[in-house]
Amino acid sequence: MIIGLVALLAIQDTSRIAEAQTVLAQLVESYGVSGAEAPVRDVVKRLLPSWARTETDTAGNLWVRVGQGDGPVVIVAHLDEIGFRIDTIRADGSLALQTRGGFIASLFEAQPALIHGERGDIPAIFLPRDTGLTRRAPPPLRASVGATTRAGAESLGVAVGQTVTMRKQYVRLAGTRATGRSFDDRMGCAALILALRQLDRSKLKHPVIFVFSVREEIGLEGAAVAARQLGTTPRRVHAIDTFVSADSPLELPNFAVAPLGAGAVARVLDNSSITPPAYVDSLVQLARTRGIALQIGTTNGGNDGSTFTPYGVVDVPLGWPLRYSHSPAEVIDLKDLVSLTDLVRAVAEDW
Amino acid sequence: MVAAVSRLGGWAVRTGGVVVLLTAQPPNRLAAQTVDDLALRFTSMTAVTGYEQAMTDSLLALLPGSARDRIGNVTLTLGRGAPKRLVSCPLDEIGYAVGNITDDGYLTLRRVGGGTRLYPLFDQQLEGERVTLFGRRGPVPGVVAVRSTHLTRGRPTGNEAPFAVDNAYVDVGARSRDEVMALGLALLTPVSLAKRPHRYGDRLLAAPNAGRRAACAALAAAALSRPRVRGTVVVAFTVQRLYADTAGLKAVMNLQGPFESTRDVTVGSRFPDTAVETVSLREVSALVAELSRWMGQ
Repeated sequence: MIIGLVALLAIQDTSRIAEAQTVLAQLVESYGVSGAEAPVRDVVKRLLPSWARTETDTAGNLWVRVGQGDGPVVIVAHLDEIGFRIDTIRADGSLALQTRGGFIASLFEAQPALIHGERGDIPAIFLPRDTGLTRRAPPPLRASVGATTRAGAESLGVAVGQTVTMRKQYVRLAGTRATGRSFDDRMGCAALILALRQLDRSKLKHPVIFVFSVREEIGLEGAAVAARQLGTTPRRVHAIDTFVSADSPLELPNFAVAPLGAGAVARVLDNSSITPPAYVDSLVQLARTRGIALQIGTTNGGNDGSTFTPYGVVDVPLGWPLRYSHSPAEVIDLKDLVSLTDLVRAVAEDW
Repeated sequence: MVAAVSRLGGWAVRTGGVVVLLTAQPPNRLAAQTVDDLALRFTSMTAVTGYEQAMTDSLLALLPGSARDRIGNVTLTLGRGAPKRLVSCPLDEIGYAVGNITDDGYLTLRRVGGGTRLYPLFDQQLEGERVTLFGRRGPVPGVVAVRSTHLTRGRPTGNEAPFAVDNAYVDVGARSRDEVMALGLALLTPVSLAKRPHRYGDRLLAAPNAGRRAACAALAAAALSRPRVRGTVVVAFTVQRLYADTAGLKAVMNLQGPFESTRDVTVGSRFPDTAVETVSLREVSALVAELSRWMGQ
């Protein structure tokens, strides 16, 4: 019946919403904890237009170069997601975990788990705590594959260094909304892919480099490699990443209030970068000219574009409103993805 | 607090009744895979106590000759004559019902079932997770709101008490009360965590209420295996065991009794009351064989 409801909603979708959902769902349902992004990178390659030529750098970032000339505009979205890495296999067969990225650990506690092994996923569970009742700070999380010895766990293919996540599913909600995990930053990746599909390459005034970066969640590491490689040459960088929104009954409305469904958001001020006011004004004018819904806001978090600013490159991060960030139940509005796609295309073609 | 935590430790039988010792078993007429499938199917179902109808509909379809009484119990009578015995399992689970709908399209909840012995973090398992609302137009997916990690940064959190049901705001993607109602949702709509039973390890099954559902799966499998029955055995899948002083079981006994003996089927589970309550499907298979044998004794 849930499938029936989703099918009904899909029938009512415009073709743009339908295409956005098709791309996004495939990205959301692939797994790529920071440092282990290969599965997501493969999905991105598959979804890119056939003309796109890709390169993967030594860090693992995926590059798509478009247009000719000097002074490229760089547009970057990150491939990775939060999760865990197996730190130790204990004598009792349980697995000690190390977090990759920042999140509320209790949201993973006592949930089904997947270990991403060399020969496929190994089902497991995140163990419930056995001491302490603090709301969001359980003792360090452990996982279990059901084995009671280290050898038993290893016999199932478990090894130190493998990444661990919770099973994911893209689920359509009412209207044009959807839930899943790792919309941060698969929405950004989807916007780049959709913009590349629609891009009018004959209109480009300058080269554009689309970068699908790695290891953003653990310190913008992949983007830093790309920024170092490009140095002072880019004329501008756009990190396409989450605008964590306070559009929720649990958040303080002091800042970050960007309603879902009201369009893309210029992430003007966050914890890593500030967009110069003249650039914000110019962006607003561009959106107005092309009839693109755009909100202006400030939120928390860092963005990949900030690794370019030490080279004198202006960072104009763009995003979309997200509820319940870094949780298993993130919520987005597909209309915002369409709006963001249009904006990415606009900054590539016209700005 | 200590008692509640200690329950998480080892394997434990959560409900009262006969504890089944599982050792060597005779061959079972149903293939092990079939029993596994039934357990998987039952753990994917939701039967909030007092709102078990969808699951009892499935049982009526699964068990030819079964019937449902006024309170909702599903019973199947095997054999005839004396002695008359009862074997039962509890169908229901602790869950939630919609308590209110806000103007901006969120739903708030009240818990149905569960008392002072409930695992202290039971409600916290809702936070930031997917839920299913069983509305008049069919199941509707939703999520329970959680504060965004990023927006907690730089703000004091203090020593927070565990998440309670009063903190739960269900987001179904609606923007208004009218949009919620249009989805077939209303006050008292039953709500549960989204059921995603998960197999792992050596025939282990993790799911909410896995112990209760595995017990019912074993009982259904035993009934379906056409066992040789001595006298009359009433097989009962009972509702409202967690509410109103085990009303469902008492109703069966009053409506269909007296019984010479009664047996409540239980399966040992690990991590009870959590979303990864775990049972051994190997033990469930053994239980099917043992129940079939008991019916013939």
